[in-house]
Amino acid sequence: MTNDTSFQQDALLVAADNLQAGRIDRRAFLTALGALGLVAAVRPGTARADVGEIVLCNWGGAAVDAFQKAFGAPFEAKTGIKLSIDGSGPAIGAVRAMVQANKVIWDVTDSGVGDSMTLGKGGFLEPIDYTIVDKSKVGPDFAVEFGVANYVYSNILAYDTSRMKNGLPTRWADFFDFDKFPGKRTMCKWIQGQLEGVLLADGVAPDKMYPLDVDRAFKKLKPHLDDIIFWESGAQSQQLFRDGEVVMGNIWHTRANLLKKESSGKFDWTWNENLLFASAWCVPKGNPAGKKVFDFINATLDPEPQIALLRAMGNGPTNPKALALMTPEDKAVYALAPDNARSHLPISAAYYTDTEAELQNKFLDLISSH
Amino acid sequence: MTAFQRWAFGLTVPACLIVTALYLVPLGTVLAISVEEPVPGLGNYAGLLDSPAVARVLATTLQVTLLTCALTLVASYVVAFALVHMSGRLRQAALLMVLVPFWISVLVRAFAWMTILRRQGVINSTLAALGLITDPLELANNRIGVVIGMVHYMMPFAILLLYANLAGIDRRIMQAARSLGARPGTVLLRLWLPLSLPGIAVAAIFVFVFSLGFLITPALLGGGRTVMIAEYISVQITNTLRWGVATSLATLLLVVVGAAIFLAMRSPALRAAFEGQVRQ
Repeated sequence: MTNDTSFQQDALLVAADNLQAGRIDRRAFLTALGALGLVAAVRPGTARADVGEIVLCNWGGAAVDAFQKAFGAPFEAKTGIKLSIDGSGPAIGAVRAMVQANKVIWDVTDSGVGDSMTLGKGGFLEPIDYTIVDKSKVGPDFAVEFGVANYVYSNILAYDTSRMKNGLPTRWADFFDFDKFPGKRTMCKWIQGQLEGVLLADGVAPDKMYPLDVDRAFKKLKPHLDDIIFWESGAQSQQLFRDGEVVMGNIWHTRANLLKKESSGKFDWTWNENLLFASAWCVPKGNPAGKKVFDFINATLDPEPQIALLRAMGNGPTNPKALALMTPEDKAVYALAPDNARSHLPISAAYYTDTEAELQNKFLDLISSH
Repeated sequence: MTAFQRWAFGLTVPACLIVTALYLVPLGTVLAISVEEPVPGLGNYAGLLDSPAVARVLATTLQVTLLTCALTLVASYVVAFALVHMSGRLRQAALLMVLVPFWISVLVRAFAWMTILRRQGVINSTLAALGLITDPLELANNRIGVVIGMVHYMMPFAILLLYANLAGIDRRIMQAARSLGARPGTVLLRLWLPLSLPGIAVAAIFVFVFSLGFLITPALLGGGRTVMIAEYISVQITNTLRWGVATSLATLLLVVVGAAIFLAMRSPALRAAFEGQVRQ
């Protein structure tokens, strides 16, 4: 889904911490054009799978090195099978195109649990082979038919402490309290994790969240649209805070963490009511390495590689055993650390599988109609 | 045809074939998807006409494009007019300044505008320091920002097109008019403007066609709230997997642009303007 994929795309930018907003869309679009036979033929640097190699597709940049160090090196040392990483980005449009064209070159993609359901439903994925992948490493919520969660991340409420005159915001209700907290806000243009915050602010109980009451959320949001700027890439969300364009926002915790660090605490965030996402490994239908890919996936669910990724990029482990190995600094940015997980709302991937396309378009229509 | 002409024509064949293969084939694929998905037929096109959301995106696109067109033409005409009247050395310097933006990527330009236009940007800081404003002006993250960014992107093209046209106008006509007692304003309105109409039309069509497909500038300067057709298509391809909708919209865009150019080229004056740049 959009939020999963753009988050992963963002994670590498977080690691590199460079500003490249805008490229995301173009790349994703190029990938989609590739789907139409335009770019695939001339795209450089795509890996080819042969025997003794697993090809992983992620979102490029710093994530290539981070994934290679965290997952590739230990796996090769153990099995002799090399990991090749193609950083061209597994947008759902690209996976679908590849499978439909019968030219599958990826064994495993850095997608989302939601992606896995959408693509799985369309018949574009292999089911995860749980005779090889050990389900017990990640717990039941993180192991679904067509995907297994490789890390977690959250949408959180971030704010500019220097512009808060009446105390600090602590929950989504404060996001809409313009009297107590004047100033512009930012939200994400991609639908997942947006309406949940609006509905929590409007008093919907977390356990009654799904199916979303879209009309109620839109009604709450509409009067304030002129005071909300919508970000589409993590780098942009960070820039809006830096530039003083906004005082508060619904952004990814990895970006909030960078903001906090670079500003020595001027920008901060609350884990309260954080909206929790799970990213997932997916296997495109007819992947070249066949069943071998599941050995690799299984190895990535161990605590050590997951902690390596947390330290490199802020992406949180899905294996509960990782917690015991963490330093206090690690825990501060880990969505599932006990202190941070007290009031979180897990985003329902199942809900979005059937509704996202429709909802995303309705949302775009709402925010762009003046 | 002489033997030489045949040879020359033959040499263009490989390029034609490559362009055809790399352009028409994917285009045909796009067209095919638009009538195949999700069910065969013209349902996607019918759906476009029925959808209020698509209508709003098209309306936004048209509004922003026309506004960009109008502002670009007025500003570019002023610059081109000045260029024609400059001395050689000054003109070279001025033309260089017109060309500089060509070497800067659209992304960098959008970010530069953000720096200038944002709440704590150059303009607002200056105005606030001078005591002219208390609250910052809303210049970025809205439609104003989008139009500013797009006008800036389109101006060099429009200036060069208009300059080529204005430079080709016979200046003795103006001298004759002045000698008959016409005021400068009359000369501008009754000679320069009518004589440069083909150039204005060419620049207008160029800016219009180009602006319809803007993607990055609206996305970055619009605060996520100015969704134009290119971005809408991109979202349908990449994020919602509604390829039928995306490809039918893309086809519609292509048809509209093609029709605009076709109609324009039926006018002899415009054809001359397009081809006439060569003759000077």
